[in-house]
Amino acid sequence: MNKRITLKIAKIKDEIKDIKTFSFKYKLNAKPGQFIMLTDFEGGEKPFSISDCTKDEFSITIKKIGEFTSRLFQKDVGDLVSIRGAFGSSFFISNGKVLLVGGGYAVPTFYFFSKILLESGANITLINGARTKDELLFVEKFGKLGINLINTTDDGTFGEKGTSVDIARKLLVSKLQQNQLVSKPQLGDNSRFHPATAGWKRENVDKFDFIYASGPEMMMKALQGVIGEIEYEFLFERYMKCAIGICGSCTVDPLGIRLCVEGPVLPKKIVEQLTEFGKYHRDASGKRILY
Amino acid sequence: MHNRLKTKFLGFEVRSPLVLPAGIMDMSFSALSISTENGAGIVTSKSLTLEPRTGHKGPVVAEFEGGFLNCMGLCNPGIVDGLAEINEFKERSDTPVIVSVFATNVNDFLKLTEFVNTSKGDFLELNLSCPNVFDEFGIPLAASKDEVHKIIKAVKKISELPVIAKLSPNVYDIVSIAKAAESAGADALCMINTVGPGMLIDTKMVKPVLFNKLGGLSGPCIKPIALKLIYQTYSDVNIPIIGMGGVKCGEDAIEMMMAGASIVGVGTAIYYRGIEVFNKINNEIIEFMDENGYENLQEIPKLEKLLM
Ligand SMILES: Cc1cc2nc3c(=O)[nH]c(=O)nc-3n(C[C@H](O)[C@H](O)[C@H](O)COP(=O)(O)OP(=O)(O)OC[C@H]3O[C@@H](n4cnc5c(N)ncnc54)[C@H](O)[C@@H]3O)c2cc1C
Ligand SMILES: Cc1cc2nc3c(=O)[nH]c(=O)nc-3n(C[C@H](O)[C@H](O)[C@H](O)COP(=O)(O)O)c2cc1C
Ligand code: FES
Repeated sequence: MNKRITLKIAKIKDEIKDIKTFSFKYKLNAKPGQFIMLTDFEGGEKPFSISDCTKDEFSITIKKIGEFTSRLFQKDVGDLVSIRGAFGSSFFISNGKVLLVGGGYAVPTFYFFSKILLESGANITLINGARTKDELLFVEKFGKLGINLINTTDDGTFGEKGTSVDIARKLLVSKLQQNQLVSKPQLGDNSRFHPATAGWKRENVDKFDFIYASGPEMMMKALQGVIGEIEYEFLFERYMKCAIGICGSCTVDPLGIRLCVEGPVLPKKIVEQLTEFGKYHRDASGKRILY
Repeated sequence: MHNRLKTKFLGFEVRSPLVLPAGIMDMSFSALSISTENGAGIVTSKSLTLEPRTGHKGPVVAEFEGGFLNCMGLCNPGIVDGLAEINEFKERSDTPVIVSVFATNVNDFLKLTEFVNTSKGDFLELNLSCPNVFDEFGIPLAASKDEVHKIIKAVKKISELPVIAKLSPNVYDIVSIAKAAESAGADALCMINTVGPGMLIDTKMVKPVLFNKLGGLSGPCIKPIALKLIYQTYSDVNIPIIGMGGVKCGEDAIEMMMAGASIVGVGTAIYYRGIEVFNKINNEIIEFMDENGYENLQEIPKLEKLLM
């Protein structure tokens, strides 16, 4: 049962402009990818992904967007808020070579996830994307994890230049095709003495076992187009009210699965069937809103 | 699905006596589909209003030991978009659909009925009993037998679909209200809507848990109330009853039938037993029939009417 619990805000950290991390001393027992419902009883109860979760503490990282999140940004350490959860499906914990592709306020959940992946021995490449330098999140925190971190900005003000998907495409498609087409080894490539197998070897080096994405829907839609045959899981957002699978506001077409129960993390075989993916979502009334 | 679960409801042959009630997993065509795929015999749409409604601010649900409070606040995409979802559902499924509509006066109910006439829906259900919009609309219409009569009579004149009246449990004299609905021409009754409303308090913040303060009760705790009201009503009316309120397992559904229900709604139990709850209950009904020597649903006896 997902009982409601009312907690003091233990810590508030300003991350970047309009994004703060709120931490709570509570044994949440969440899995990476799951979310909580948060309310201050002043109007609104909203879903937020878990950005960190240890034995006795958890955090959520929130972007100030509208009425509810603005009010939350007025709160201080020690103020009370009430939560339900953790809810929903979680990411598959791979122990292979994985690629994480993130954008915007949906990136921090990959911090919690990366820690769990590292425990299981995965080799992580994380593309951390934002429009510009000031909007990049968790650069330091990810940096300390010792993973293969690729920061990228659309305008090139920090890290690579390009969107998360541009970088993913480079890692997944171009190199692969390049290697298949051009068997000529590159300088510093160990396989240069075996030109015949150079392509094969390089392909293996860059091959990911699993791809995960958390970010704007259109980012994930574009990413889907460059993934090829690799298994993946995407973290989706839809309007949520009950979070326990009865109100129907978070269902996705045409399967009718509930993102608060069967989601928010959906596997490839489900994502491929979604007709609304990248096309529309529903607002609080259930009306379709085009992307 | 099992032949022994087949039953008739207002001229339709349905493959299971289980109904998805209004307001539960029914905002979209795909939400309706998933209940059908999991064994529901009839599905009901969210209560649709003339204009879209975003509903109340959260929290809109609150759990307690015996069930739930909810104050969704009749969120729905409006009659036009809502019917488009229903039509899309009907393109994919032959499962009968009850179109639930909500209004506060005869005129609006008539406008809604005209819309529903043009849709692929199979039944029209008048939600006369939402307890969660008191601040906005006051006491539910279902509290007054005169209002119930007036609205149903007007709607019946123009509705091309059978009309179901959804009644409130929060009344003193359910029988006279049910009779008023029947004499106005209602083809069936749906009972009960949520009970109360009630409230819950967060003791740390000293605030009502629901932002709307009040919410209707659903789930196991309301089953005895539903059974009593259906039982009271059944022998005094000659129209079928869709019985609902806290049904969680096969035996609960059988109880509803024994009290007088023709078919049975299963809503909140989706939370307790998953969306597969319909098939689970279907199987449990068959097990019950096996164990107790009933060949089909028609053989399940109704309780004898005793004076209450
Ligand atoms: C599974 C999931 C995980 C999320 N994780 C995070 C997170 O880690 N950090 C973060 O900052 N935000 C997250 N969000 C989005 C967050 O819930 C919204 O930003 C927040 O609800 C906005 O509320 P508001 O009143 O400030 O803005 P409003 O002005 O009310 O809304 C702005 C936009 O936020 C979205 N939104 C509003 N209410 C809801 C709701 N009840 N359910 C879903 N979306 C809503 C809508 O797209 C809306 O257009 C997540 C959403 C989902 C569904
Ligand atoms: C979340 C929720 C939303 C509901 N919305 C509606 C509605 O829009 N119209 C309506 O007539 N009844 C509505 N109801 C009442 C149900 O249709 C049903 O009468 C009630 O929940 C009792 O059945 P249950 O205990 O099986 O859930 C709603 C109930 C719940 C829990
Ligand atoms: S939010 Fe209600 S079903 Fe998912």
